[in-house]
Amino acid sequence: MRAYLAYLSKRLVQFAVVVFVGINITYLVTHMTPINPVEQSISAATTYGATSPEAIEMMRQSLRQLYGLEGTPWEQYVAFWKRVLVGDFGPSLSAFPTPVSQLILRALPWTVGLLLVSTLLTWILGNLLGGLAGYYRNSRILKAFGVLSMGIHPIPYYVVAFVLLIIFGFLWPVLPISGGATMASDRSNTFAFALDVVVHSILPVLSLMAVGIGGWFMGMRALVSNIVTEDYVVYAELAGVKRGKILRSYVMRNALGPQVTGLALQLGAIFNGAIITEQVFGYPGVGSLLISAVHAGDYSLVLGITTVSIVAVSATVLLIDLLYPLIDPRVEAR
Amino acid sequence: MIAELRSIPSSDVVKAPQAVPLLSVDGLKAYYKVKLFGIDREVRAVDDVSLKINRNEIYGLAGESSSGKTSLIKTIAGAIRPPLRVVEGSVRFAFKDGERDVYKLSPHELSAIRWSHLSYIMQGSMSVLNPVRRIKHAFADFALPHVSAKGGDFTSLVERHLKRLHLDPAVLQAYPHELSGGMRQRVTIALATICSPEFIIADEPTTALDVIVQKGVLSMIREIQQEFGSSVLFVTHDMAVHANLTDRLGIMYAGRLVEEGRTRDVFKRPLHPYTAHLISSLPRIGDEAPKKGLEGSPPSLADPPPGCRFHPRCPLAIDICRREAPPMVEILPGHRTACHVAQADPARVRPVA
Amino acid sequence: MSTLRILRDLLRYNGEFAVGLMLVLIVLAVAGCSFFSPYPPMDVYVVPPDVPPSWEYPLGTTSRGQDVFWQLTFAIRNTLLFGIVVAALSRVISLLVGLISGYKGGWVDRILMSINDTFVVVPLFPILVLFYFIMRDEMTWAMLAIITALLGWAYDARLIRSIAMSLRTREFTRQAVFSGMSTGKIVFQEHLPFVLPIVFSTTMNNINWSIGIEVTLSVLGFTDINTPTIGGMIYWANQHTAMVSGIWWWITFPILLVIMLFIGLFLLAISMNEYIDPRSRLSRLGGQA
Repeated sequence: MRAYLAYLSKRLVQFAVVVFVGINITYLVTHMTPINPVEQSISAATTYGATSPEAIEMMRQSLRQLYGLEGTPWEQYVAFWKRVLVGDFGPSLSAFPTPVSQLILRALPWTVGLLLVSTLLTWILGNLLGGLAGYYRNSRILKAFGVLSMGIHPIPYYVVAFVLLIIFGFLWPVLPISGGATMASDRSNTFAFALDVVVHSILPVLSLMAVGIGGWFMGMRALVSNIVTEDYVVYAELAGVKRGKILRSYVMRNALGPQVTGLALQLGAIFNGAIITEQVFGYPGVGSLLISAVHAGDYSLVLGITTVSIVAVSATVLLIDLLYPLIDPRVEAR
Repeated sequence: MIAELRSIPSSDVVKAPQAVPLLSVDGLKAYYKVKLFGIDREVRAVDDVSLKINRNEIYGLAGESSSGKTSLIKTIAGAIRPPLRVVEGSVRFAFKDGERDVYKLSPHELSAIRWSHLSYIMQGSMSVLNPVRRIKHAFADFALPHVSAKGGDFTSLVERHLKRLHLDPAVLQAYPHELSGGMRQRVTIALATICSPEFIIADEPTTALDVIVQKGVLSMIREIQQEFGSSVLFVTHDMAVHANLTDRLGIMYAGRLVEEGRTRDVFKRPLHPYTAHLISSLPRIGDEAPKKGLEGSPPSLADPPPGCRFHPRCPLAIDICRREAPPMVEILPGHRTACHVAQADPARVRPVA
Repeated sequence: MSTLRILRDLLRYNGEFAVGLMLVLIVLAVAGCSFFSPYPPMDVYVVPPDVPPSWEYPLGTTSRGQDVFWQLTFAIRNTLLFGIVVAALSRVISLLVGLISGYKGGWVDRILMSINDTFVVVPLFPILVLFYFIMRDEMTWAMLAIITALLGWAYDARLIRSIAMSLRTREFTRQAVFSGMSTGKIVFQEHLPFVLPIVFSTTMNNINWSIGIEVTLSVLGFTDINTPTIGGMIYWANQHTAMVSGIWWWITFPILLVIMLFIGLFLLAISMNEYIDPRSRLSRLGGQA
């Protein structure tokens, strides 16, 4: 138990470091330009209609604090952090006066749902098939699948999403290509609504899976090929333990550890892919929100999403790290 | 370790060879065939080996690192994979419930005899146990299919077995990395013997262990052999261990068996120059003469010398040794050798130093 | 083994390497054609727009009056250039961090790895988007390349570090240290041959990654759209609703070419990885490791 607590505290420290450095990078980036984004944003937002002077002042106030224009550089930095820690990014400029946090919260479930489903499916399926491919080296089906998945894997998310969009949008329009659910649908009937959501998520999920699965497949296959030559597997085979049991308890169990670590490492990249995939399919998650915020010049929203992304991804990685000892009992001894 | 020949107990008389040996290896040839960037290569790991092991006997197999010992025992256990293939010969067991020809069995039949009739103690105790599962699962995985007791009965069976071998049953709850190397080796031996197999193959079980632990492991093996009446095929390059433990001894060189006989006979009166050298290199109390190493190194198994494989390094080599491979011939009762010189005149075989 | 011999063996026995090399060479050839282009890259309406692929215009023309083929040569050249520059810059950082971390060990290693892991975990795309947001029109390709390199070194640094760590403890290193070789000499003479293959394969992967970033950012219109790049071509095609209008050749050919590049580089990377690992090499020859 003591070993686990030591491990836990190490991971928590790493989490804090990651979030701290990440948000600092964000802060640094925002200060790279000589132009003043505050005035720019305000003028962009106010050209579209009459906004009351109090509203403009409130915007300006929060933007100045977020950007860090008030006071000395140190005070700016502190003011920035104060706001970030509370999660108060002020009002969104493009959807004034809705606070940024509210917009993010509205979009977040969509992204989380998409990511959760596609990541889990990809990871499980990829590892399963890769493990089988590593063990049953002569299976032609597995070899074919390997070639296919590894062929798609290097292609960036955007291209795959776009190709799927073309196929299902123009050539064979059987699946919806935009939106999280049908517009103006009746959300009271939960089952019908849930089904609608699922149907709308098929293409984005498929897109993410197509790119991701090759990576897990390849990694797992290589891992399993190596593990199969390890003494404890050879010994179990010598003892006549059934193939199925060896595959499950001896081979896969030992290969899972590195793959879980791999998942933690890939999460940032998967998130990036989700952003662009949402954009292509008009999926109402945090990704689409980010892109439209950039187009609208909504500084506070962009900053808010960036910060939340950093924290969310780091927190998920922390969670995965904490679950790791359950899979590999040796980690306590390290 | 100082060589001490144990005195032959009177029970030796009881251990006379029986009608049907437990293991019969006849003319076994197993080669590696590799294609390396366009070059075909054939490595003759096991080249025409014939031997018999009886019931209730500890048979030692000695030889240098590349002598083919490990390939031989893997072939005997039916545990070889391509590119290593059996080219000729047979391996037959005469178990209590029937004969088995290892290379004529179906995979299902082969795994049925594993562990219950034939078990294996592998080299390198460090990593033969699944690192992510507790020891008790290893016992369940390996032994449960062969044993009628299930559930709680099985657990008691395992615990009793452990206690009999002076191991604390608490070890079942541990993970392999939580135990020391010596402990792991003893657990592995307990694992290999839980089904009271008739034949146990032990591949260098004491290498990489310090002398004290070695002693414990060896006495464990001896106890098991005596209590269960199993036969043990014990492989090690350490001649002193052979002297202490085995009933009969076989010497391997370059994929061939060059000498075989009762351990005592082989030590007192080696009939092959290579054996003579191995034995003379053991330090003895009071012997201060400097030891001379053998010149040269073991031949490559891909391209062995013609005739007798030992002839380039043999001080007694004569012309025929370069041309014809000597057959394995029984020169004295129960004592075979493959050497032209010994077959002509056994008295000429002397240690090198 | 000499480099030439290694290449010959790879070509002969490793199908992936051969295919990968062929794809990359095709792409390079197309990029090379850009030097013979009759039209300056940024000019528009130099040919009749929206002409489907024909004898005169083999890949068709765009809605902006550009020849798709010649535009593509510039696009792939610029995109490739971007990828190579980013990969080169980030190699420097990866090597520095990886080697120092691997050799020094101790607290230096721990601090560097902590920072390294930060860059691995943090999602880089939002930061790049933020960067564009701040810089807007001030952002040049050079700046984008630099900041992408500054963000993309982390994953590879870890790989280099593990190689450095294993080399440090090997016998021949100890011998070299013992015989009084300076650290610099050890690193460059003894260890570099081991580190180079992994640097090669990570470079391929890094180029893929950075080109992916370029394509994605350009498609969103977040880069200097007037310089022709693959992502830029797709952006303009989208602006002119090429798919809906039926001008499929404007989008298809850039996508095809860039997919060839991605797969080609990827194949090179994994075949190099396999070559390094002796076990996988052995299993290819019909044996089992």
